Amino acid sequence: MTTLAERDYFSDHSILRDPYAYFEAVREQGPIYRNPDSGIIFVTGFDEVLSVLKNTEDFSSAIAPSGPAAPLPFTPEGSDITPQIEAHRTEFIGGDLLVSLDDKPHTFSRALLGRLFIPSRLKASEQFIADYSDALVKEAVANGGCELVKGIATPFVTMVIADLLGVPDGDRQYFMEAIEAGPPPGSLNSDDLIAQNQPLVIMGTYFVQYVADRRETPRDDILSELSNAKYPDGSTPDALEIVRLTTFLFGAGQDTSAKLLGNAMRFIVDQPGLQDQLRADPSLIPAFLEEVLRLEGSTKMTARIARRDTHLGDMAIPAGTTVMVALAAANRDPRRWTDPEAFLLDRPKAKEHLAFGRGAHVCVGAPLARAEVRVILEKFFEHTAHIDLDETKHGRPGERTLEYEPSFIIRGLGEMHLKLTPAEGFVAPAKPVAAEAPRKGGLKSLFGFGKKAATADDVPQPYSTATTKIGALIADPAATAILDRHFPGVSTDPRIGMGKGMTLRTVQKFAPELFTTEALDAVDAELAQLPAR
Amino acid sequence: MPELIVTTREGDSRPIEAASGVSVMEAIRDAGFDELLALCGGVCSCATCHVHVDPSCAALLPAMSADEDDLLASSRHRDATSRLSCQIRLDQSLSGLRVTIAEED
Repeated sequence: MTTLAERDYFSDHSILRDPYAYFEAVREQGPIYRNPDSGIIFVTGFDEVLSVLKNTEDFSSAIAPSGPAAPLPFTPEGSDITPQIEAHRTEFIGGDLLVSLDDKPHTFSRALLGRLFIPSRLKASEQFIADYSDALVKEAVANGGCELVKGIATPFVTMVIADLLGVPDGDRQYFMEAIEAGPPPGSLNSDDLIAQNQPLVIMGTYFVQYVADRRETPRDDILSELSNAKYPDGSTPDALEIVRLTTFLFGAGQDTSAKLLGNAMRFIVDQPGLQDQLRADPSLIPAFLEEVLRLEGSTKMTARIARRDTHLGDMAIPAGTTVMVALAAANRDPRRWTDPEAFLLDRPKAKEHLAFGRGAHVCVGAPLARAEVRVILEKFFEHTAHIDLDETKHGRPGERTLEYEPSFIIRGLGEMHLKLTPAEGFVAPAKPVAAEAPRKGGLKSLFGFGKKAATADDVPQPYSTATTKIGALIADPAATAILDRHFPGVSTDPRIGMGKGMTLRTVQKFAPELFTTEALDAVDAELAQLPAR
Repeated sequence: MPELIVTTREGDSRPIEAASGVSVMEAIRDAGFDELLALCGGVCSCATCHVHVDPSCAALLPAMSADEDDLLASSRHRDATSRLSCQIRLDQSLSGLRVTIAEED
């Protein structure tokens, strides 16, 4: 019989409901444990997790998004595989995201984001956060309840980061649709792994245009500041690097923050007396959130790969070994925390938990996550006299049924139905929240397969490098043939994924040597001969 | 490479070399000093990378932002030499900078 510790964390759906029992079973094997079947090292001790996170010399983050169980794109050779990792970086899933980078590329990219989350910037966003969450919560209270995760948390955190980055109002709905359509990070369904970055690709198409535009004509907005930010040595980042960073912020901050609200709400509804205490004294919410993060942070784990022969404790770790860094286990390590399973509002040094990681890769958006979840919780307490789970959906206290997302990375509820009792004197809003109505066309139009403007829908337009998106061109074999004749291999180049929502003339701004004006003019002349669709 | 002389809370001093362009916090952290928590990772959002800068170097440093000032105000160990080490980028002009890791709050 397979013991709990031997079960496969990365594919076993039954571990999802209570990963903590599994982590404790693994911890019994020691704070550093090598799974005999997979060879993966499981680190569950607080100090041991810290030592991995801090040792950026010996451990690479290249496998942080794909996890330690995914096959490597190469066979490790020798005692230092750093050159192999760098040579194959783009073959790791998400290998060129900020979360995956090592060394100088990581330090430099991260420095570009350094000013996004400073207190004064967050304060400037706080009015928007307060207004938007006030409207969402009031509507929910007026309705007597809500589905928290998808109904409130996801649109809320998406709009907040969009506001912080300065995404134009009109485009925000597209971002939400893209995220809702995508699988969660670290999905246990392996088919999702390939498609995992899809929403980011879609958002990337927008950011490519923002960055190009703000570099050409800087305005007084955050996108302009980001687009024109310099590396610490004064050099100018590639425009696509800015695009990668901004879209990454959406992807990384979106699901995790939304799930944190759900996880926090679970304590609020099930911890006796807690909501009354927080409602009476909202200044306790920050401390409350730290303890939620410790016990139910929305990121269960991250992953590293040993890039040099090294040691963890007494265990020799050869280069190429993958490591499961169990943040959630470290946060309940009895050697670090007194009574680790207990929820204590006044736990000393609770904020030293590892829910956001630590060291060079510590979550850059943690200050935003803390602020936005705090503000919306304040609104929930302000407008309600009582918050409860909907028993018809989740069962009675003590016998709750709550479904967690099938992800080995994310800890969070897929759905959470709440019953909201209005506060005394609560006045229902006169009209529903003025959310931007979803636009017609939806996701299809993002890829350029559908056309945005009504005239383009009705009247066939000839293809052109200035007005037709690349996605539309490569959906047509005749146009693809023209493209490939002028730019050999372009239609099958994996990098084109990010460009599908753009025209070739937009892409030209990023690669003027490759897409010369002469070549594009020549393509236009040939495209004009094709029948339009 | 700029050099930095770091004094721990116990009073031990040791010189470290850092790459140009990294922050003092990153240099200290990556050199393996455990006592600098740097919880927020360098986004000027906590005050756990607090250091005291030797007064002889003070004139070389960039001015303090209002955010840094506010965060330092939360520390009981703030004095005239206090800085958040994540807000000081190292370059050759700062080589030889002496910092002492501040007491834990």
